[in-house]
Order: sequence, then C-alpha cells, then structure tokens
Amino acid sequence: MNSVIPAIHTQALSKIYDNGRGCRNITLTVGQGEAFGFLGPNGAGKSTFVKTLVGLVHASGGSGSLLGHPIDSLEARKHIGYLPELYRYPEWLSGEEVMKFHAGLLGIKGGEAKRRIRERLDEVGIGKRGSDRVKQYSKGMQQRLGLACALLGDPKLLFLDEPSSAMDPVGRREVRELLLELKKRGTTLFLNSHLMEDVETVCDRMSLMLNGDMIRSGSVEDVLKTKVRWRFKVGGFSPLILDWLREESGLSIALVDPAHDAEAAWDMPVWLEADVSDENQAGLLNMLLIEQGMTLYESSMQKEKLEDWFVETVSGRDQRGERG
Amino acid sequence: MNTIIASTWQEMLRRKMLLITLILTALFLAVFWFIADTVGADSTAGGDLLMQYARRSAILSLGFFFGGFVVAFLAIFSSFSVISGEAEQGVLQSVLTRPIPRWKWYVGRWIGYVSLIGAYALILFVAILLITNVHAGMTRDYGDIAVSLLLFLAAVPVLVSASMVGSTLFSGIGNGVFMTMLYGAGWLGGMVEKVRGALPVEPDVEATLSRIGALLSLIMPADGLNRRMQYVLTQGAGETIPFLTGGNPPSNAFVWYAGVFAIFAFGLGLWLFKRKDF
Repeated sequence: MNSVIPAIHTQALSKIYDNGRGCRNITLTVGQGEAFGFLGPNGAGKSTFVKTLVGLVHASGGSGSLLGHPIDSLEARKHIGYLPELYRYPEWLSGEEVMKFHAGLLGIKGGEAKRRIRERLDEVGIGKRGSDRVKQYSKGMQQRLGLACALLGDPKLLFLDEPSSAMDPVGRREVRELLLELKKRGTTLFLNSHLMEDVETVCDRMSLMLNGDMIRSGSVEDVLKTKVRWRFKVGGFSPLILDWLREESGLSIALVDPAHDAEAAWDMPVWLEADVSDENQAGLLNMLLIEQGMTLYESSMQKEKLEDWFVETVSGRDQRGERG
Repeated sequence: MNTIIASTWQEMLRRKMLLITLILTALFLAVFWFIADTVGADSTAGGDLLMQYARRSAILSLGFFFGGFVVAFLAIFSSFSVISGEAEQGVLQSVLTRPIPRWKWYVGRWIGYVSLIGAYALILFVAILLITNVHAGMTRDYGDIAVSLLLFLAAVPVLVSASMVGSTLFSGIGNGVFMTMLYGAGWLGGMVEKVRGALPVEPDVEATLSRIGALLSLIMPADGLNRRMQYVLTQGAGETIPFLTGGNPPSNAFVWYAGVFAIFAFGLGLWLFKRKDF
C-alpha cells in the first residue's frame, strides 16, 4: 500500500437521518500511521460519521475512501478493525468462540486463527478467561473482547468508538498503552472518545464536531500550545508591584485569586499566573520576582488540558445533544 | 457463508431453544402414542374401509394440528429478532464491518434457520407417521407421503422468510407480535374454511366465508400448506372430519402462491437488509 494514499479521505461526506440529525459535509484526510482523535459532545454526529466510514450506514451525500478503496467496499473492509460504541457479543459463546467466529468472517483459519486468537486475547488482558462464556464477562471484559475482535485481522486502520468507556482506571491505562503500541507499529488509529486524556496522549491530530458539523480541526499539539500558562507561588507579594511586573516583563500577569488581600496577609504566599510563549519569558519573570525581594516557592508550566479547550469551545454554542 | 450458517445452528443449540422443543416434542409424542392407540383400538374393532380411513385421518390430523403449530412457532420465535434484536443489542455492528457482503450474512442466517428447523420438521413428520402406522396403518403411497413431506417442510421457508422481513422493519418484540398475528390470521383463514365446510349455511354466506377464509390464508400461507399436506396425506378422507380437516383443501394455485410468497418475502427482506442503516 502506497503511504501517499491516505488512510481516510472524505469529501463532503454527509449522512442525514429523517429527523435532520447526523453529520454533514465532512471533509477530512487522515494519513497512514496517524492517530486521529474525533471529539464532540453527545449527539454531535461522531458515531454516525464513523458508522458511515465503516459501512454500517449509507451516506446521504459526498464520498469517502479508506486506504484508497471506496467506503462500503469489501476491499476497504479487509483492512479495517472496528470497535463499536454499542458492543455486545452472543452470551452463549465463549470469548474464544466469538473470536473464532470473527476469524471465520475474516477468512483466517486453522493454526493461524488459533495463534492470533490467543495473542489478541492476551494482548487485551483476557488471557485464559477466553474460555469463559461471554455472559460471565463484566462490561469492561466485553469491551476488551471487542478490542481483541477489532485487532484480530491485524488491521491497517482501526476505528475505536469509545474504546475504554466501560473500563476501570487500570483498564483505561492498559488500553492507552496498547493504542500507543499500535501507533508505534504503524497502525492508523481513529479514536472517537470522550476521554480527553486518551486523545491527548495518543492522538496526533483531532477534529471537533458539533451539531453534525466539523467546527475545528488541527494538531493536538497546536491546540494545547495556543495557551501555555506558567504559575508562580510567591511569598511577600504586594499587589502594588503587579503593574510594574507587567510593564517590565511585557507579559499578561494576573493574581489567581484577585480577592486575595496581600496587605492583610503579607506572609501568606499568593499564586500568579502568566501567559508566556517560551521558557525564557518564564525565567525573566522568576528573576524580576526575586530581584524585588520576594520569595519564589514554586514555578511550573500549566499546559492547557484538552478538556478545558473542549469545554471552552463547545460552551455557549447551541447543542442538539443531551442538553437539548 | 458457512461460518454464518454454523453460528446460526450453534446459537439455536446453545440457547437450548431446540433442546426444549425436542423435550416437549417427546412428551407430545408420548401423549400422541396414547391417543393413536385409543383411536386405533376402536378402528380394529370393526367398521368399513371408509371409517378406517377416517380414523387414520383423525389421528394424522391431530398429530399435524400440533406439528403445524410447533414448527410454525419454532420458525417464528427463533428468527423474529435476528436483525433488529441483534442490531439493538450491538451484536450485528461488529459483524457487518467484516469483509463479507451483507447478502451473504442474510442468506447464511436464512439457510441456518431453514435447515435446522426443517430437520426438526422432518423428524416430527416421520415420528407422527410411524406412530400412526403402528396404531392405524399408513398408506403405502410413497408419492403422497413425499408430497406431504414437502408441503409440511414448505411452511418453514415461508415463515422464516416472512419473519426475517419483519425483523428488518420492526423491533424484536414488535416482530414477534407481528408474526404471531400474521400466522394467527392464516390459521383463522383455515378455520373459517373448515367452519364453512362444516356448517349448513346458505350459498351466499358460504361464498362470503370462503372468500374471507381465502384472503386470510393468502396473508400467511403457512397454515394453508399444512391443510393441503393433510389433505394429500389422508387422501381426502380428512374432509369427513369437521374442524380438523374439513372444508375444501387449498388448491395447486395456492401452493404455487405460497412459493411465490416465500421467494418474494426472501427477496424483500434481503433488499431491505442491504439498504438498512445500523
């Protein structure tokens, strides 16, 4: 497969349901080997878009391809793995039998199927419990089984719709590590998740959907770089020197708790917050504080969390999701 | 497709659906043996050839009265939630993203249900005939027996095809209700025809009842096939037993209609399934 061919390419892809919901005019390109995060509040149309890509729903308009093959084609589906948001497996089967069934659908047989089933079950942490019936699995275990099924065909492109939503913190960390490992191996990841930490840790780029439209797109690094803040815990601070500090450093500096009466509590440390673009500016501010005879207890970079960015971007906009 | 057929068999076996049916069938056959023995004993006491036929027909009709119902309900309740139920549960989503065309999944499921329920119907058919043979003797016209068997088995694809269409349109429980009512309508059509044959009514009333019965039978032809099967198997003697096999038997045209019905239902279901969003 030529690496120039994108893993995912859509041109004005739309799926509009009778009630007007869905996703519209989504144009997106995800390169091979990339990890892409797909964000948005509930009801934004993320799952609809993913389902359109994997062929579960038929597009209302536009076009799309997976690894150069039209979406909905068998050739495209040969190279993908998909963990649905709503996942269940036949309760009367064991985990291994579910995997065997999926191996059959993928055309993997005999010893090769056995080997892969064992490897994948171990990889997702099910291990020997693979011989248990699915009805004895917890929700988290079922999600692990879903992940194992998605990985069974060694997919080049993996779609994961909320891959660790049912898992405990340990499980989530394990999944995150697994995703990082897959990324290292060159698997393209398309991660639809509400767990910002997953997207932040795993993904290179991301998009934000709202009400069926893609409203933001960019690299995760860029989004998080837009606002880098430093915090300084300062003793002996007087509000009188705040303006001077701003003037000398040329930075936007603020007291974290503006109600703090520094005069009344001279010996109590305060927190200052400054928007800085590089570490040198933070160093300059350190120096100025010390020069003025103040005590610097702590200084640290406060990188904006993706969650803050998400909430900030989405709040105030009309949403058709759970909030009506 | 073999994977899907095998998984359908595995599902029916693992969910103990077939096991429960087999146990209850064994119980029925034990009771049926007793009934056939009682009626058959009366038959050996004397009577002309026509009465002997009538007694045999009564035994067969009672057997297939149960047989028709149990095969119909097994066909309906094993397949009524095959699509909507699996989609609601989230089982189907991971399957349909595999590199198999949707039609293969649909056809595989259909073959899986029809073959296993068909095998059950075959066993039931043979068991009813053997018991009848022991107690009242059976016809040695193997041509009639073969035609009857085919008619008995034909109800299975008719019902499974209709049930799978319903499953693309309605929720699991909704389709269960829909199919039960549909089968009930066809069964009622047969009953109307039997009532018409049994009651001394005016010709215009008879014609109206006949039309209603025929229309209801057309809605779901499974029971009509069963009535035709009993007619062939009893060589017409069943007509002498009101409310069991009375009335006119469904015609050859009806049998052809049932075939077209099954093919149309199968095609419609497949077409809807291919277009459905999950």
